[in-house]
Amino acid sequence: MRAVPHARFALGVDVGGALNLVGALLRYLSLAFLFPAVLAAGYSEPVWPFLAAGAITAGSGFALEWLTHGKERVGVREGFLVVALTWLLAAAAVSLPYLFSGEDQLSRPVDAFFEAMSGMTTTGSSILTDVSELDRSLLMWRQFSQWLGGMGIIVLALAVLPRLRVGGRQLMESELPGPELEALSASIRDTARRLWLLYVSLTGVLVLVLASLGWAGVDERMSLYEAVAHAFTTMPTGGFGTEPRSIEPFAPATQWVIVLFMALAGANFALLYRALVRRKPAVLARDGELRLYAGLLALASVTLVAVVWDAGIREGEAAVRDGVFQVVSIMTTTGYASTDFNEWLLVTPAAALLLVALMFPGGSAGSTAGSIKVVRHLVIGRVLRRELDQTIHPEYVTPVRVNRVPVDERTVRAVIAFVLLYVGIFVTGALLLLLDAHRVELELTPFGALAASATTLGNVGPAFGFAGPMGSFEPFSDVSKGIMIGLMWIGRLELVPVVALLTRAYWRA
Amino acid sequence: MEIVVLGAGQVGATIVEALHDDHDVTVVDLDATRLQALSYRYDVRTVRGNGATRRILQDAGVDRAALVIACTSRDEINLVAGTLAKKLSEAQTIVRTSNPEYIEAWQERQIDVDFMVSSELETAHAVSRTIGVPAAKQTDVFAEGQVQIVEFDVPAGETAGDVVGLPLKEASIPADSKVASIIRGERMLVPRGDESILPGDRIIVIGSPDAARAWSRLMAAGEQAVDDVVIYGAGATGVAIAHVLLDQRIRVRLIEPMEERAREVAEELPGARVYAATGLDPDFIERERIGQARAAVFAMREDPKNLYAAMLARVHGIGFTIGIVHEPISAEVFESAGIDVAVNPRSVTAEEIVRFAHDPRIRQLAMLEGDRFEILDITVREASKLVHIPFKELPMTGSLIGAIVRDGTAIFPHGDDRLEPDDRAIIFTESSRVAEVEKAL
Amino acid sequence: MGALRFPRPRALGVDVGSAVNLVGAVLKYLGAAFLFPAAIALGSDEPVLPFLAAAAITGGVGFAVERVTRGKELVGPREGFLVVALTWLALPAFGALPYLLADEPQLSNPVDAWFEAMSGFTATGATVLTDIEAVDSSLLMWRQLTQWLGGMGIIVLAVAILPRLRIGGRQLLQSELAGPTELERLSATIRETARRLWVLYLALTLAAIVIFTLYGWTGADPAMNLYQATAHAFSTLAIGGFSTQNESAAAFAAVTQWTIIVFLVLAGVNFLRLYLVLVRGRVRAVARDDEFRLYLGFLVGGSVLLLLELLGGDVFGGADALRNAVFQAVSIMTTAGFATSDYTEWSALAELTLLLLMFIGASAGSTGGSIKVIRHLLMFRIIRRELEQTVHREIVVPVRLNQSVVDDRAIRGIVAFIVLYIGLFALGALGLVIDARRADVEVLSFEALGAAAACLGNVGPAFGFAGPFGSYAPFSDLSTIILSALMWLGRLEIIPVAVLLTRGYWRA
Repeated sequence: MRAVPHARFALGVDVGGALNLVGALLRYLSLAFLFPAVLAAGYSEPVWPFLAAGAITAGSGFALEWLTHGKERVGVREGFLVVALTWLLAAAAVSLPYLFSGEDQLSRPVDAFFEAMSGMTTTGSSILTDVSELDRSLLMWRQFSQWLGGMGIIVLALAVLPRLRVGGRQLMESELPGPELEALSASIRDTARRLWLLYVSLTGVLVLVLASLGWAGVDERMSLYEAVAHAFTTMPTGGFGTEPRSIEPFAPATQWVIVLFMALAGANFALLYRALVRRKPAVLARDGELRLYAGLLALASVTLVAVVWDAGIREGEAAVRDGVFQVVSIMTTTGYASTDFNEWLLVTPAAALLLVALMFPGGSAGSTAGSIKVVRHLVIGRVLRRELDQTIHPEYVTPVRVNRVPVDERTVRAVIAFVLLYVGIFVTGALLLLLDAHRVELELTPFGALAASATTLGNVGPAFGFAGPMGSFEPFSDVSKGIMIGLMWIGRLELVPVVALLTRAYWRA
Repeated sequence: MEIVVLGAGQVGATIVEALHDDHDVTVVDLDATRLQALSYRYDVRTVRGNGATRRILQDAGVDRAALVIACTSRDEINLVAGTLAKKLSEAQTIVRTSNPEYIEAWQERQIDVDFMVSSELETAHAVSRTIGVPAAKQTDVFAEGQVQIVEFDVPAGETAGDVVGLPLKEASIPADSKVASIIRGERMLVPRGDESILPGDRIIVIGSPDAARAWSRLMAAGEQAVDDVVIYGAGATGVAIAHVLLDQRIRVRLIEPMEERAREVAEELPGARVYAATGLDPDFIERERIGQARAAVFAMREDPKNLYAAMLARVHGIGFTIGIVHEPISAEVFESAGIDVAVNPRSVTAEEIVRFAHDPRIRQLAMLEGDRFEILDITVREASKLVHIPFKELPMTGSLIGAIVRDGTAIFPHGDDRLEPDDRAIIFTESSRVAEVEKAL
Repeated sequence: MGALRFPRPRALGVDVGSAVNLVGAVLKYLGAAFLFPAAIALGSDEPVLPFLAAAAITGGVGFAVERVTRGKELVGPREGFLVVALTWLALPAFGALPYLLADEPQLSNPVDAWFEAMSGFTATGATVLTDIEAVDSSLLMWRQLTQWLGGMGIIVLAVAILPRLRIGGRQLLQSELAGPTELERLSATIRETARRLWVLYLALTLAAIVIFTLYGWTGADPAMNLYQATAHAFSTLAIGGFSTQNESAAAFAAVTQWTIIVFLVLAGVNFLRLYLVLVRGRVRAVARDDEFRLYLGFLVGGSVLLLLELLGGDVFGGADALRNAVFQAVSIMTTAGFATSDYTEWSALAELTLLLLMFIGASAGSTGGSIKVIRHLLMFRIIRRELEQTVHREIVVPVRLNQSVVDDRAIRGIVAFIVLYIGLFALGALGLVIDARRADVEVLSFEALGAAAACLGNVGPAFGFAGPFGSYAPFSDLSTIILSALMWLGRLEIIPVAVLLTRGYWRA
């Protein structure tokens, strides 16, 4: 009979392996810095901040890989850790050029990190008080960071990196928004490639359309630079702009084009792929989520247009445009503004409350949008109906269906837990923001705090009060900014990968 | 002496094998072939029939027997046979059961047999012993679970803490507990301050549940080597093992392929982590870090499955594997295949029964209340002479006040505590002194 | 030969006749309740007629309904939902009669009177009165009495008294008693359980009356007399929040306020548990109760948060700050709605804290409203289990409460309730702001959120003009109806009403 072996330290997660993969991802991320560097060279602006940031990112990536050498195999369980860490470190990397550039508004690390996290998570909240003061290359980097984050850096890595061929599915599931991943092709890698391809082409189309509006003289402010910059933040439903007053200075035609593309970007990309590339537009009409998504957009637009028109703020086409634009921008969690809707707060609180409420539906699953996502609302609605049915007929058995396909109970429960957790984090965030504001004697209304928490958690962008669409998050204290950085991060990764890291069960064997 | 064994299955056969040399054994079973096989191998008398009937019992000569062992595989048959035998004769009765509820009822003296053995519990104790933590041999619970009386074997090897080998007054005995008795060889010692516990003793401890756990840690050989055990199969045996290990504060993970059963077990065992999985899926083993467990117990219903799972677990890095076997031959197969320990529930049960039959000392202990010792639960009267006197000034006798229950809470008295009227005193005493104690209080 | 076949009327799965019949029977008895304020009116030389007329109408209608509909003696579980929902609509309708008949100018609008009565019976405490002290004392007492009757539940009372509810009352009771507790019966029959609950409720109310009156006699609180004591004991034990004073509890001495705190905390405990402690002396069983512990935890947490703000904001100092913070936290969280100070003038943080406390509520089986502590506890455990299962996909983790396992059905019911609650709250708030826009009432977004939360949670006062010393009068009629509906839904815990809206309920 053999003796029982001696105790080992029981940690259930292979942190080394996770770090190794994060290192590899960082190394590739450093390539992204070349784009703004080229731009800076072209505009004769300082190039070195980008090169230095690229070097540091690549260097730390290499270092991480080297330190954890020999642990290249990542199991399923490490997925959450990889995703969570990657997003945290990627945001840190993105903030480097802000710090190096010597830009006054971004000279503090917290501010730079906030801006970078807001970029990567495609939130679009900004601590900048005057965007136009930034160098053009730095500004483009800010836009570019949203574009990278929109479809997801890990999805990109999956498409590109050979070593992620196996085990990538789970990574992708935790990064892509929505409860379930719909495979477009047999291999996960191919799916990732197709998604990126669609994303790139849609961005290309948008650049062309916007630029031609500029060339045709419909919108004099729309140069190629602006077209690229705004395409970069429209497709990922990001919301950073190059103008202090967001989309307001652009012509109505431009605004309508952006509305269209925001609505597109908020739809399920897998569905779009099948409709656009495989030419099966019928799938769009049959999809329950898309129908609810379009329905919500329409309903909210009508309501807001009516409220705005009735309040006498705008009339005619302007009222329709402003109403629709704001609804689409907020619900798809983009965060552009075609007018300072913060001013509506006092004139028609109904509009303000409606906009905050719209921060919760979000876009479709598998889109670049954030927040709860329409499909989850759909599932919740069906679950409630079943629950009521079963209250009266206790023996009644019926699965919850989406698009006529039964959703398995496990997913149903995960959806419910997600929504409850989302509400819980939202409320806690608001309370913490107010607590902190109270501490530093910052003038923040309860409604402002609720809006700020909802906007950062849902990756929307603007809030109300001083953090309104034309305002800035700059007045918040460092602690509050830290809280919001956390909210953006948690929101982008759809809570679970981050929250799971906080449970003991995750780390135990 | 004459012994009647009901049941000629594996347990019965093992018992017969152990006892047939020194005693006159009669075996009762429904199955003639089994009886025949037994009577060809050993010199025993056989009676064919249902052991739970009066006629068959009388045929088997129960009125002359000194011991009746009911060890068929069916609880209810055993119980009926045991209680009937008790009425029909002067014999001591042993009943095998698989239901912990029956054991509990027996401990509370609501089932009138002399000894009850559960295969599941014996297996669990055997597993617990091999892992290196001696489980409490027997636990009696008083005062709604606040007071426990627990029996331990002191291991021959090294033990943790400063208890073994030191005079009791210097030993660091866990708080809220007392050593009630030390059994060394044939002798039973009343533990006074200068007495000490030696390796190989058997001791009886009275104390709070926490103290009982502290004692079982103390009795562990060396440092506690295992703190994380995976159990495959959540049948009655698996659950019994989980119960015993959880009581030792060992982390337990249970893997059960049937979802319905997994849910039941998860509800029954709040401390364990239960997985509804086969446990044979490499992805699962990898993800749940099964390989990091200190030991794994394979308690599924089929031996080949257990063997396969155990080999798989070894491949994934489990250092210590314990297999539960159901066929006698499997034990050899298991051990030659490299499984560290094979436990056969039937032979463990048989061994325990044989030990009881052989060794009168164990019998007395098992029936603490039997003849030599008694545990009294007495409410102190106002008029008692012992009231209000500090314990250290009470006269030394062979009795020991293990605990006092005052206003619903248990107190484990020290020298300066006093008895108050209306206290419930839990007293451990020799049977001969019962009357004396009752009068004094 | 082809006989003419008439299409059969579509089968209705609910026996509406029996349900309405039972509602009539309950109403009939409500008539008797008007006698109490009538007696007060006699004693203080105020018009008695409104009460007698209301009693006659209520009793008469009850009788009539009972006669007109032919009901089976026994109502099934399916009809139970309808009975409860209808009863709680009818109660405020008849309870509003004295307000209308008494010619009280502040309540002359039927919608306002109905709102006031609904707020009374649901033990909410929201009021449309702008000057409470201007109302007749008998009418005010009626207002307090509605809260007291509604607090423990009219149907619980009916089950305790009405012989015909001897069987089948269990399900009715379950829909009316607050929270998801399996009715742990205090005795073998449901009727005896209902009786014991009411006896306990009555005993606690009497204790409060005696203590308050003593304060008045001994001069500890000069503002207290037998009338005030009774009025406030009624609304305290019901966790209602109506007061006879414009300044709510601020009109009374500190010692009275502390006493109110104690009784509110008691009334917020599960009455089934409270009975075990007070009558059977089983303290331990309750002290170990998961829900009770969390309930105290929330109360302490809320108090501390408010206290920190009050001390920081130098509105109050020392003992005053402590009393105001504790009082407000207890009053809002248990969903009473008394106030010792106008908290709308406190900081923004205090306002948000109070808004969040409105969502916590008291314990299941208490007289409080809102989501209830037990649901928060279970929700937390559900989320924790879900996270655990994301990491360990095969693990089986039952959700436990006090060591016993909560079955999946109950869990799903709780989740459905919470989601519906949040949804209704958001819809209600949106409805309020949009209607305010239409009717040109100045309602800020936060105030709309507050009003919706306060009514749905049966708390009472909200923020802005509807604050603790304010009134809901400025709301338009439509908003008032929305708010009344929220109170109704909140009191019945949504599900009994929501099922009525499904097609499946009515179909055979």
